[in-house]
Amino acid sequence: MATASSNLKGFYRQKKKESGIRKPKSTKSDKSSLLHAATLGSDFTHPSAVVSHGSPDLKDDYDKHEDVLRQFDMNSAYGPCLGMSRLARWERAQRLGLNPPKEIEGLLKGEKVRSECLWDGCI
Amino acid sequence: MTAMEIDTEKNIQRKHSTYQSLDKTFDIQNEIYRGQQYSQIYFARLHTMRTLLYSLVTHWKPQVPVCTVLGLEEGKECIIVGTLYKHMQLKPCVLDEYSKERSAVPLVKPHNFMHPDDHLVLEDESGRVKLGGTVLSPSTYVTGGVVALHGKETTAGDFLVLDVFEAGLAPQILPQLKSREDKYVVFVSGVSVGSSTSNPLQLQLLVDHITGHLGDEQEQGIAAEIVHVVLAGNSVEIPLGLLNGQNLASKDQSRVSEAVQVLDILLTQIAAGVSVDIMPGSNDPANFALPQQPLNRCLFPGSRTFNTFNSCTNPHCFELDGVRFLGTSGQNIDDLKKYSEARDELEFMERTLKWRHLAPTAPNTLGCYPFTDRDPFMIESCPHVYFVGNQDKYGTRILEGSKGQMVRLISIPKFCNTGLAVVLNLRNLECHTLSFGAQLSTLKTFCDA
Repeated sequence: MATASSNLKGFYRQKKKESGIRKPKSTKSDKSSLLHAATLGSDFTHPSAVVSHGSPDLKDDYDKHEDVLRQFDMNSAYGPCLGMSRLARWERAQRLGLNPPKEIEGLLKGEKVRSECLWDGCI
Repeated sequence: MTAMEIDTEKNIQRKHSTYQSLDKTFDIQNEIYRGQQYSQIYFARLHTMRTLLYSLVTHWKPQVPVCTVLGLEEGKECIIVGTLYKHMQLKPCVLDEYSKERSAVPLVKPHNFMHPDDHLVLEDESGRVKLGGTVLSPSTYVTGGVVALHGKETTAGDFLVLDVFEAGLAPQILPQLKSREDKYVVFVSGVSVGSSTSNPLQLQLLVDHITGHLGDEQEQGIAAEIVHVVLAGNSVEIPLGLLNGQNLASKDQSRVSEAVQVLDILLTQIAAGVSVDIMPGSNDPANFALPQQPLNRCLFPGSRTFNTFNSCTNPHCFELDGVRFLGTSGQNIDDLKKYSEARDELEFMERTLKWRHLAPTAPNTLGCYPFTDRDPFMIESCPHVYFVGNQDKYGTRILEGSKGQMVRLISIPKFCNTGLAVVLNLRNLECHTLSFGAQLSTLKTFCDA
């Protein structure tokens, strides 16, 4: 273990991928009390804004398409979302007769959206 | 190969049958592992079975409402559908691995893990509920089956089961009834070439009988009616002591490959005359998790040149002259034996057909590939012949379904221990055994009906 310690930083990826939910960092700022998702009721597709100082970062790297897709990911009627692409999960739901919304298929096949579920790379 | 010369004037022609492999669903070549968990396969299983059961329970108890586990109300009778989970205190735990040293010998000796205190739980996406009452006997059921239960929630929070409904045998396509002649399929399993219990002479007798090199004209005529041969798993046994992760010395390398070479020689002899399917088993050089993929053709340089040679998956599904066969090398039934009890292997087989699932304990206690979009072990079409290899003894009977289905159940014994092969007549689905014995004083081969 001692010999590996110098390489530990390189061994373990220090930074997670940018996309996905971010954990709230500082908790003791008065200005930011309104923006902590945990206290605001569960709006789980909107990760809490990271505020320690300065202006809140409200526009994350996703848009309303991603929001719709995240709702689709979190809907347990279509089964677990981890470990499969969103389109594969939509097709499975279709095949099992669950009638997933057609617009999701359109989004996944057409536009420039994330093909993986919201937890991909975070878990 | 040079043509065989026969002493008699006439050539005896082997009968022919049309063979179609239906193993596509067991192929994992196109599957990509993306880090998924087993929850995906359980979801696919629950959903498909629940849709089916919802349509069937309307005829079973039309007055009783159907609800989800979370929707249970105390005292109200209803029907719930979900996956069974059996809580077993003797079931080996993965943490045991950390308390013992790693060795080639399995940590857990196979025996039965049942205990009188085992209880069943029903689970769906919304929640789980403990099952009570005397109608559902935990010794009969295993984790992974999907059933419909009629009952009500008690004050203690358990679900008191009043009645249970299983899907029953799947719909069966009747084989087209042409005027059939006697055509035989030979099943053999647990040949175990290379093991200390396998007798090469016994095996050669079997091959010679199938290929018509044994006996007089009458016996050759009988052999000519064999149209297909199935080796249902455990065809080789490589000495376990050699496979411990160390580099093999050159003399050991030849010991490892010897068994497979001998098997290839036998298969070449068979394939030259009749179509043969070889399925992987738990001891064969194939992947561990079900569905086991076909044994690599490079292992059989001699027999693979014949188009009669088929390396198949485990489980294996095929059609011969319109008769549908489905079978495994035994892992599914062996696992059921560890976690439940029944009169005999045939009763376990009957349960898997009625639950419409080949291996309900997969992936809980039986290794299985984490499929995401489907559960390939579900039985959608009821076979006409259902066989399981590597069992302790031979057994067979006809199982009848509620909608006129008829299945021939066959439990194929291990050839290295019993010297028995099983023969099925395609015309009437009747079975008998072929018994081979080889003692130094006398050489015998005889058929028992």
